[in-house]
Amino acid sequence: MATATTASAHARAVRQHRVLRSLPYLAPAALLYGIFLLYPMIDSVRLSFFSWSGYATAPQEFVGLKNYRYLLTQDTVFWTALRNSMIWVVLSVAIPMVLSLLMALALNQRIWGRNAFRSIFYIPSVFASITVAAIWRWIYNPTMGVINQALEAIGLGDLAHEWLGDPRTALYSIFVASVWQGVGFNMVLFLAGLQSVPAELVDAARVDGAGRWQVFRNVTWPALRPTTIVVVILTIINSLKVYDLVVGMTGGGPAQSSQVLALWSYQQSFSNHNFGAGGAVATVLLILSLCLVVPYLAWSMKGDD
Amino acid sequence: MTEMTAVPVARTAVGPDDGAAATPNRPPRDWVTVGLWIALLVTAAFWLVPFAVMVLTSFKSRADLVSGSTLGLPAQWLWSNYADAVDTGDLWISGTNSLLVAVIKVPLGLLLAALAAYALARIHMRRAKWIVAVFAVGSMVPIQVALGPMFQLLLKANLLDTYVGLILPYLAFGVPYQVFMLYGSFRAVPDEIEESARLDGASTFRIFWQICCPLIKPTLAALFVLDFVSTWNEYAMASTILQSGSMATIPLAVQNFSAQHGTDYGPLNAFIIMTAIPVLIVYLLFQRYFVSGAFSGAVKG
Repeated sequence: MATATTASAHARAVRQHRVLRSLPYLAPAALLYGIFLLYPMIDSVRLSFFSWSGYATAPQEFVGLKNYRYLLTQDTVFWTALRNSMIWVVLSVAIPMVLSLLMALALNQRIWGRNAFRSIFYIPSVFASITVAAIWRWIYNPTMGVINQALEAIGLGDLAHEWLGDPRTALYSIFVASVWQGVGFNMVLFLAGLQSVPAELVDAARVDGAGRWQVFRNVTWPALRPTTIVVVILTIINSLKVYDLVVGMTGGGPAQSSQVLALWSYQQSFSNHNFGAGGAVATVLLILSLCLVVPYLAWSMKGDD
Repeated sequence: MTEMTAVPVARTAVGPDDGAAATPNRPPRDWVTVGLWIALLVTAAFWLVPFAVMVLTSFKSRADLVSGSTLGLPAQWLWSNYADAVDTGDLWISGTNSLLVAVIKVPLGLLLAALAAYALARIHMRRAKWIVAVFAVGSMVPIQVALGPMFQLLLKANLLDTYVGLILPYLAFGVPYQVFMLYGSFRAVPDEIEESARLDGASTFRIFWQICCPLIKPTLAALFVLDFVSTWNEYAMASTILQSGSMATIPLAVQNFSAQHGTDYGPLNAFIIMTAIPVLIVYLLFQRYFVSGAFSGAVKG
């Protein structure tokens, strides 16, 4: 009895000692994170229940769910932004993800010029998004841009177009630039994932007479599953974050046709001086992100006490 | 931690292969490889067009751009576009600002994240996993979710338009992702190494700094590159926090340049090329860590 008590007292002391010992290591990062990330994030949610112009002297007035009612019933731009963000998510999962997987599979072979190919596809992703926006605005230039010039050169001049100035094409034109920029990063993730494909298994399958497709279907693809989950999650999260490209290429226009949630939250707060509505858009964005992040974290930390 | 290189999935694809002679009924794999190579070449050509446009445009005069094809060679190579871009874009001012911010933020952030990740991974606290999870959440939410209140916070602290006011939020937004990645790496360090060091009387910090950090060098190097590139390129926060032109970082300078001198396509493209050089250098220097170190943790390999 007595020994049990001392043992648990000892265990408690060890635990307290550990917490104390870890504090100097943990505190600086935790403080920064708490003050400059968690607090502003939570404050955005709080502000979504207030009406506020953002000026320090102006009062913050509690309005309950009014900002959300406004978003859902009156703010047509919000619905455009939400729809565009969803389109962006779906397109990103479909196009650049498949493309980057194909590139990784091809460049995982011993193929002539492999490193050059990898660099060509990867380098756009070290460029700043705002820079990529400037480059592509030039590419889309109605008269001097390379796309319209190429279309005319091959006799498809009728298709030449004001790509960023037409509400029907603006969003998709920005998306093309994002594919150019983003595909290389996903390719590298898939290449890293391909390293976990057991070579013996591939060899064994080949000896058994399996073709390329069968090897992919039965060996490579199952081994790539964890990577694919990571890439899907990252792709969706990055889609919800899209901001710089839109700011740099259209600013959300023409006529809000290329508006997205992240930019609309910013503009409601800083351009329209409506921090309540901005906070409400931010909260919607936060909830969408958490719906993905929380299950992903639960999965990734599982079996890792 | 071993450095892995990419293991080819199909080792039999290229080169002389003894097995090929033994099994004569094999499909003609070389043709598949050739087809693949052509597909890659075509895709790469498309990927290179924007670079070609950028470089060619950077040497052209306005008259040249109006009259000729954008992908044609310049009638006269106008090197002066680069000098013009340096002058009108205040390249040295914004370059110095960006470099200063990156040189302080990147190593400091990585150190703080490594300390925190080490404590979470190696000092066996209860609920360490929960703390990691709380950190990780922060790495995945869009910055815009916090920008409004962040602006107010820095306004009250009188930190708007200052280096400190930019670096503190940068640290806060870099730390969670790095803690998440480093936590995984530190956990992979075998317990025995740490225990034997402890028996030899090494302090916790010494174990962290002289034993564990060197072991996870590939991850640290990869995170360093990623963080340098994303700090150099960051736009949304910088545009909110920095207001005066003399404080502008590189992305703000690019955006200002294209907003104010949007029709000077030659100098604009020259400017863009010059602003991308530092990240290209960093990428080339650390390239080898990329496929090996960085992401093997990320993908639960």
